Amino acid sequence: MVDFAVFVAPLVAGILTGYALRNRLHANVSRATFATILALTFSLGFSIGSNNDVLNSLPRVAWNAFFMAVLAIVFSVALVELAKRRVKLT
Amino acid sequence: MTGYSGYGSASSWAVDLLFTGSLFLLLFIMGLSFGLDKEAILKLKQTGLRILIIPFTVAIGSILGGLVGGLILRLDLFASMAATAGFGWYTLAGPMVGQLFGAEWGAMGFAVNFIRELLTIVTVTWMAKVGKYAPIASGGATTMDTTLPAIVRYSGSDVLVAAFSSGFTLSLLAPFCIVAISTLGRLLFSVICL
Repeated sequence: MVDFAVFVAPLVAGILTGYALRNRLHANVSRATFATILALTFSLGFSIGSNNDVLNSLPRVAWNAFFMAVLAIVFSVALVELAKRRVKLT
Repeated sequence: MTGYSGYGSASSWAVDLLFTGSLFLLLFIMGLSFGLDKEAILKLKQTGLRILIIPFTVAIGSILGGLVGGLILRLDLFASMAATAGFGWYTLAGPMVGQLFGAEWGAMGFAVNFIRELLTIVTVTWMAKVGKYAPIASGGATTMDTTLPAIVRYSGSDVLVAAFSSGFTLSLLAPFCIVAISTLGRLLFSVICL
């Protein structure tokens, strides 16, 4: 439950702030997003690179990830096709 | 790769702080850009809420894919589902899954979603033949920006709003789903251990 509060709170706070300021703030958030993503992917890379066990498992992770990505796509496409046949989408 | 240089524990608390802080900030900024985006909400209302069936179906399909993958590969089921609940948004899913399940899962979360985006682009011509909304289903959250041009090119401009709305909705759903799955996993685990 703590995780929920910690991760969901900033997202909800951002949405509420953005919505409240939507007529007043025409901020270009893309630069801030880019910098944050840079910091985030660097830290992720660091946590992976600094851990020998994780480094050694990377080839296996890559194959598992490929397999899972394919499954996620297959199931998503299949379910949407099923939904399309049952419900008129547009 | 900087981490590999072996400056291990002395500097890792700083990186941990950077990690958590930037994750927090990214979620806030994403929320901000959603709240500010008057156009997106307007487009959604214009198309009709029925179009939301696509993102919710994709969400279920993605998580199901993670569950099946976890079962076949004999991995942590909740971590697998959390990874695929990134719906292609690798810059969010990687760090978030990493925070919740550890560095190896962080790599997995990143890779699953990165590969998903790549596969969507590479297979778009074929997917467009499978079905009108198939490329949108494949792309998940990425259909609001990175895969949108490719999808519109091969599926036609009439799917533009559907693709954008689906990607937009899934981008909002991803952090919620990842955390919910993780929380559920921990709850179930603590119940089983009692």
